[in-house]
Amino acid sequence: MQAANDLDSKLILVCCGTGCLANGSREVYQSLKKQLTDSEVTVSTFTKPTGCNGWCEKGPLVKIMPDDITYCQVKASDVPAIVEKTIQNGELLERLLYRDPQTKKRVKSHHQIDFYKKQHKLALRNIGEIDPASIDDYIARDGYKALAKALRKMTPSEVVEEVIASGLRGRGGGGFPTGIKWRAAAGQPAQPKYVICNGDEGDPGAFMDRSIMEGDPHTVIEGMIICAYAIGATRGFIYVRDEYSLAVTNLGIAIDSARRHGYLGNNILGSQLCFDIEIVRGGGAFVCGEETALMASIEGNVGEPRDKYVFPTEKGLWGQPTVINNVETWANIPVIIQDGAEQFAALGTAGSKGTKVFSLVGKVVNTGLVEVPMGTTLRDIIFTIGGGIPGGRGFKAVQTGGPSGGCIPESKLDLQVDFDSLLEAGSMMGSGGIIVMDDRTCMVEIARYYVHFLAGESCGKCTPCREGIKALLDTLTAICHGQGREEDLLYLEEISHTMQDASLCALGRTAANPVLSTLRYFKDEYLAHIREHCCPAGICRELTEFEIDPATCTGCGLCTKNCPVDAISGEKKQAHIIDQNKCIRCGECIDHCRFNAVLVR
Amino acid sequence: MRIIIDEKPVEVEPGITILEAARQNGIDIPTLCYHEAFGGQGMCRMCMVEVKNGTSSRLVASCTYPISEEIEVRTSTPAIARIRRNIIGLLYRRAPNSEFMRQWYEKYEQPQSRLSPDVEESCILCRLCVKACEEMGSSAIAAVFRGTEKRIGTPYDDAATACIGCGACAQICPTGAIAMTESEDRRTIWNREFALVRCQKCGRPVGTGEQLEYIASKGGSALESGLCQVCRKKQAAVRVSEFYR
Amino acid sequence: MPAETNSKPNEEMLLAIINNYPGENRYILSIMQDMQKQFNYLPRQGLEMIALHVDSPFSQVYSMATFYKAFSLVPKGRINFKVCDGTACHIKGSNVIIDQIYKHLGIRPGETTPDGEFSLETVNCIGACALAPAVLANDRVHPKVTSAGIVEIIKSYGGHVDASSK
Repeated sequence: MQAANDLDSKLILVCCGTGCLANGSREVYQSLKKQLTDSEVTVSTFTKPTGCNGWCEKGPLVKIMPDDITYCQVKASDVPAIVEKTIQNGELLERLLYRDPQTKKRVKSHHQIDFYKKQHKLALRNIGEIDPASIDDYIARDGYKALAKALRKMTPSEVVEEVIASGLRGRGGGGFPTGIKWRAAAGQPAQPKYVICNGDEGDPGAFMDRSIMEGDPHTVIEGMIICAYAIGATRGFIYVRDEYSLAVTNLGIAIDSARRHGYLGNNILGSQLCFDIEIVRGGGAFVCGEETALMASIEGNVGEPRDKYVFPTEKGLWGQPTVINNVETWANIPVIIQDGAEQFAALGTAGSKGTKVFSLVGKVVNTGLVEVPMGTTLRDIIFTIGGGIPGGRGFKAVQTGGPSGGCIPESKLDLQVDFDSLLEAGSMMGSGGIIVMDDRTCMVEIARYYVHFLAGESCGKCTPCREGIKALLDTLTAICHGQGREEDLLYLEEISHTMQDASLCALGRTAANPVLSTLRYFKDEYLAHIREHCCPAGICRELTEFEIDPATCTGCGLCTKNCPVDAISGEKKQAHIIDQNKCIRCGECIDHCRFNAVLVR
Repeated sequence: MRIIIDEKPVEVEPGITILEAARQNGIDIPTLCYHEAFGGQGMCRMCMVEVKNGTSSRLVASCTYPISEEIEVRTSTPAIARIRRNIIGLLYRRAPNSEFMRQWYEKYEQPQSRLSPDVEESCILCRLCVKACEEMGSSAIAAVFRGTEKRIGTPYDDAATACIGCGACAQICPTGAIAMTESEDRRTIWNREFALVRCQKCGRPVGTGEQLEYIASKGGSALESGLCQVCRKKQAAVRVSEFYR
Repeated sequence: MPAETNSKPNEEMLLAIINNYPGENRYILSIMQDMQKQFNYLPRQGLEMIALHVDSPFSQVYSMATFYKAFSLVPKGRINFKVCDGTACHIKGSNVIIDQIYKHLGIRPGETTPDGEFSLETVNCIGACALAPAVLANDRVHPKVTSAGIVEIIKSYGGHVDASSK
């Protein structure tokens, strides 16, 4: 790392986040290493694999420092040119630079790209800049300075007060003020106390926690140690989904090196603090994101929640005082302690301070991870950063908050996103998934999809959640199959309210949100299914027929090529026809047609 | 500690649940998964009540809510009635085969739902059987799988190896969902057959061989000198009366 | 550890896994994960041995094995397809992929082909939303899979596909 800071040497950062890895970034990295040793490059060069840069759409990404060059969609076959031209001779490879769709110009640095311009990185500050396996990289970017500051210059209660003053609220979904939680645990006389990191990220469409654990594991560890000091805890647990194998590996490496450097173990940095962390691999249960279920799971039981009339800060893991926070929350702690609460609280809205990481996915041009100040509008996130809807289709809705969240219509796109505004709109922050839907998304089917997801993920303990979900699912399925009745809509609402009022845990209490929010904003779509036996988006197969508009069809043949069942025929440059008997209503034709010639009947 | 339940001030021991406090004071809160012997499970949610603490009020499960402050409790409001009605509706929808649930169902007016006519289920997943098996038997059964697939079962649905055939599960089950059949000398439960041991005097079944062994292993005795408890008491009484004669 | 998968479990191998952990309830999950990794499923004998090891009822261990989705009680195929059904994948057509797999291999989610070659399951978001719809073949991610693409993927793993369609 020292040498990499040398002005004469170059640092090549290869994004090895999940998205880039699947697109072949490991091969790019290995090829770079090989090429640099084999060829006679005279420039001193360091190559590092990094965590996710967030811009998964354009991966694999390769950044070259200090020139600040970002190459997109790099293949292993591009490596010789990169080494010969850019590294050796300082020439830019135009073809690998991002092309701005508006100006049509090539852009050299990712800092000049709309996707990054509006972002403000706190939780993600190191990701993509460091090798997650290297504690030296983390330390070189001020890592563990916040811990040293807390231990040497602050009392435990000053740390708690600082976190309270920052206004930080839990990033896992609930939005409970983090500092208040710490204060409650700090005030408990019982020992031992525990600190838990909730890395059981399970919202479909959210992957920010994965990215942080994989790309900057030390920030999570540092946050937890600071909390241990503040509340007087001796042991910590990081509960991670076992499916996140890279996160498990990188956290393991980070814990080991933190121990070797004296950040974990006895008398941390010469202080009285003794604290260590172990990793617990989750068993694949969405409900374990609920904190009482997660603790039951760590204890070695079935992950069923319990009533939280006594908070975990009083009686948590093994009945002891416990602070449990989500990954992104932990990642903010070192920043708050290091830079001060005031600086953190200067960002965001009145009720929600700091930034939030969102995973922007679905029908949007730039899918990926974005971190923006609280209060940024949905429109900015989806259209400015996300680049809008691909394929010239129309925006229909945006779903936030995962299965517990709701669908928000176009009329609310100027909503300033924070914990409270989303709740008001009938959705929630959740862990920060933003799923963009276009006119090819059926809102009834999407409600059914979420309820179906929860049918498998509910723990099944309490009646309103278990049986309520089943009743909702049966009713929604009937509507999607064209067997809906108008009174079904009342029944859906009735059951939804009881689930909200009477369920044991937050999963059950929010499980009906997708149903209630789609009923609130997209009732006409429900009615189209029930009254007209028609699915306007062309998704519900029983209610859909596709036809080709002979007036708009150019006979390009793209639909024929993509039809999996050979149901489309027609001469070149002549209007094509769909054979309804063969058609399986998969929608490949409508999704591939560039002329909007495929219609839903 | 003094709290108010349905506008009536009552004196309670701190730490007990709202449900216990209510029952001690003769106030009825309906429950399906509660049994005094096991405490609150918080599963059926029939016992939801409204708790007012200062200015804030919320709905809680009375069987798991420990009283630690001077709260005001309401056990029947329109909101609570709606919850109970829907819970009964949902459970009857799940287990239409149960006479027990049908009776509850008829007590409450119901919104229209889609009942599946072919369901032959009686179990409402109150898990009293699992609790009984834990406390009195040998934890042979458990709640298995999850979500809408959750049910009560033995490992792999096989004849329960750990089962001692005590029948506590079947006895506590409110809906008669656990099949237990008895013939002259056999009891069948959880796919397993047990030999019944009868009292040498009156011939009443005392339990299964496994059950008696289990009780003996815990230091107790259910069949001293081959007699059931009733006959043993009778015999003792005879002995005592003979002694004093 | 793909090389180790599908080895037939025996008592010695199971003990080797179990003895890595102290006999406490909190290690049940870890032991199960190691067994699942090594054998691709949880053998019944293994669960019985765990119950003895941690001194818990067999029913409780079984209850956990059926609760957590990471575990399977039946052996998975040599190639296990995991079709991601996270929201992003769902709205980009994961159900079409599931249908195609059924059409060509005759298996639905949770099933294994009779020859033990392929099995299929749907999984919740794997965090690869930018690659939607995504399919995992064992641990390899196949990005942006189309209905024709899945056929090629099946072929590449030695599967026979219905020749009459693409």
